[in-house]
Amino acid sequence: MSDRSHVLPAPEGEYFENTRFAGLSILCGLIGLVGLVLSFIGAYRSPVQFSYSWLFGFFFFFTLCIGCLFWTIVHHVVDAEWSVVVRRQLENIALLLPVLGVLFLPIWFWRAYLYRWMDVPRGVDPLLDAKRGYLNWEFFLFRAVFFFVVLTVLAYLLRRFSVRQDHDGNPQFTIWMRKAAFVGLPLFALCLTFGAFDWVMSLNWHWFSTMWGPYIFAGTAGSSMALLILVTAALQRAGYLKDVVTIEHYHIMGKWLLAFTVFWAYIGFSQYMLYWYADIPEETQYYIVRNTESWNVLSWFLVIGRFFVPFAILLWRATKKNLTWLCTLAGWIVCMQLLDVYVIVLPALHGTGVHLSILDFLPLIGIGGTLAFFYLRIVGQTSLFPVRDPRLIESLRLTN
Amino acid sequence: MDGPATASEVIASEASASVAPPLARVPLVLNKRNFDWVTNRISGAVENPTPRWWWVAFAITSAIATFGLTCIGYQISTGVGTWGLNSPVGWAWDITNFVFWIGIGHAGTLISAILFLLRQKWRTSINRSAEAMTLFAVICAAIFPGIHVGRVWMAWFLAPVPNQYAIWPNFRSPLLWDVFAVSTYFSVSVLFWYTGLIPDLGTLRDRATSKIKKFFYGIFALGWRGSNRHWRHYEMAYLLLAGLSTPLVLSVHSVVSFDFATSVIPTWHTTIFPPYFVAGAIFGGFAMVLTLMIPARAIFKLQDIITPQHIDKMAKIILLTGSIVAYAYAMEFFIAWYSGNQYEKFAFYNRIFGPYWWYWWVGMLFCNTLSPQLFWFRWCRRNIFVVYFVCMCVNAGMWFERFIIIVGGLHRDFLPSSWGLFTPTWVDIWTFIGTFGIFLSLFLLFIRFAPMIAMSEVKIVLPEADPHYVPPEEHHPVTAGGKERT
Repeated sequence: MSDRSHVLPAPEGEYFENTRFAGLSILCGLIGLVGLVLSFIGAYRSPVQFSYSWLFGFFFFFTLCIGCLFWTIVHHVVDAEWSVVVRRQLENIALLLPVLGVLFLPIWFWRAYLYRWMDVPRGVDPLLDAKRGYLNWEFFLFRAVFFFVVLTVLAYLLRRFSVRQDHDGNPQFTIWMRKAAFVGLPLFALCLTFGAFDWVMSLNWHWFSTMWGPYIFAGTAGSSMALLILVTAALQRAGYLKDVVTIEHYHIMGKWLLAFTVFWAYIGFSQYMLYWYADIPEETQYYIVRNTESWNVLSWFLVIGRFFVPFAILLWRATKKNLTWLCTLAGWIVCMQLLDVYVIVLPALHGTGVHLSILDFLPLIGIGGTLAFFYLRIVGQTSLFPVRDPRLIESLRLTN
Repeated sequence: MDGPATASEVIASEASASVAPPLARVPLVLNKRNFDWVTNRISGAVENPTPRWWWVAFAITSAIATFGLTCIGYQISTGVGTWGLNSPVGWAWDITNFVFWIGIGHAGTLISAILFLLRQKWRTSINRSAEAMTLFAVICAAIFPGIHVGRVWMAWFLAPVPNQYAIWPNFRSPLLWDVFAVSTYFSVSVLFWYTGLIPDLGTLRDRATSKIKKFFYGIFALGWRGSNRHWRHYEMAYLLLAGLSTPLVLSVHSVVSFDFATSVIPTWHTTIFPPYFVAGAIFGGFAMVLTLMIPARAIFKLQDIITPQHIDKMAKIILLTGSIVAYAYAMEFFIAWYSGNQYEKFAFYNRIFGPYWWYWWVGMLFCNTLSPQLFWFRWCRRNIFVVYFVCMCVNAGMWFERFIIIVGGLHRDFLPSSWGLFTPTWVDIWTFIGTFGIFLSLFLLFIRFAPMIAMSEVKIVLPEADPHYVPPEEHHPVTAGGKERT
């Protein structure tokens, strides 16, 4: 990497040319719009299927975006060097959280199909009555609003300080970002855990697991790192960040991908094994549905595809330092996250087996297209990397 | 975009971009200490005549260890009845102590393996002694499962003996997994520790003044000459061992947690146990590392190597892991309530307001959850007394936590007529105190006979270790740097 120290990026930074990609932006917006419109037509025809499919699409993108917020926070909390050059993309993706806040509205409007506990009268289900202090629609709504407000403020602040530092290079912004990140870390844990409880665990309100938060977190952190690899590689392919992000940065991102592949398996195995071993019906009900009929095939596929395949490949240094391999793996892991969320959400509706619907794809396309559209709007607003970050030089000179 | 810049432009822009004071990195070794100083100071702890305090300390700790071993002998010869165990509390201090010690044995490998893979250079000042501490803690831990089976001469039933012996070890038993996990962890930790020691043993051999010392250090240095080839092999071995040790850091305490979590006992059976136990182990382990290193750094005047920055970083890890543990506590309470399961609810209510209430309020709430929160403040992380106070709280709190989990889960049986409390006997108490004697005796022996700080690794993080290093004012004699590496 010694030759790299002779190349320094221009101090004004690099800018994504909105005009050059105007077509892509419009295309994404159109796809998103069409996806959303078709989804809502589907909602009219089959509201139950729509509600679950929407939750599936929403929660998948929620994990990706909140994961990027997590990595931004971690960057500041540990005062990292390597991630300076890719941090702006994390900040940009995290800033999509308020958009997701708006896209949460269909869940709220179609809540009666998803969260049937809202309609169960008192005295019918003693288990539900025992937890009504938490599971009631008023508190549910309050929490959702709270989560999105907190996450939006965090994402906004961290990006705002970072962008302002682009102008004057004031190190004080780094200190402020660090402070915001310190406060943000416990808030992130709170929002992710209880968001996971509220939106997916409570689909079956009889089931519970103390590991649920860490399980969702493991998938979140790994898949958002995969997304970061894909976004960075795409930007490089478009001609940006050429002398900024090197294979050394990809190598580190690949290592995190490996680490969270293992961590996901560790958390998933622990949760599964402990419920299997104790074999208490109220706990095993979650897995029994997912281990029977055609769901079993998907569950096995998830175990192999989310752990064994990427683990075996990412273990090698050569694959982490090969952009083609790494991007393939990153794309694969994002797909596996999609499958993971699918196997979490949809069996709550189709308990007897996989029942693929066109509606499973429409919200996914609609939300994905909308987010891509907004991302392309955001990405051009600022330099593609924090150009006056005090640790930029160290990040540029990274060697493993 | 960005055109190629000339060398002068690069330097100019680097100078303008050099990190401003509030964010500047503080050197890992203070006062511009050079290779020579590092070698002399650290080797000196081994080479200088044994100080009087060491003999006093060793006499006390070895006496305690001896008494503890005597208690173990008494317990083996008389039976487990010498402990306070009775129905319904069939596991108490024995397994509490086991989990307590095995938890302490986590920090060392975390520091050496995981922080190594994360390229955390500050680990070099503390990894050696933390690893040694790990080994001694695991030795203390391994005593308890061995003797708690009652008839220790049958403990070999836990080993994977061939089936034709008709012992039929139950491979579905987490206790058996424990044997595998702990023995693997111990073996790899020993290898890792010893591999790291080799260059430093070579240094001690070269500096040895007596023939006996030269002979023994020579044997253990395995013919280390510090050649390029040796370093290359050494670094590859170290990296591989770090990679192998990393999953072990997670697996050991996860398996220990399975001892409880695979059961159906309220408060034992919960899915968050594996990561919660691992976080707790690192939490307790770091507290013990600081407990030993803060006095050691003062006694051996190592403040320039184990700097306030190191203590600050370790305090942050204690804060992080302590907060993860607090998160797990909160999840347990929340899910116990959320599950609607009356047994779980009662068990957790009982944890706070039952007969062992003060264990929870003092141990889990104050010591483990609240006291590390002081480390949010820089002033607290930089004040040695506050750091020591918190570490002591954590040391005690983690023992209480294990006691609450184990005895708290047992003393209120499903059948209220079987309820009962646990009262430790003097054998219980002295066996536990005895393990502290064993632990501290081994640690004292370690600091007398092996370099307690990894000299070669500390030298690597000195600025002079960079081949392109230019001293700011004048050249130090380069020979010192060249020679000392062997």
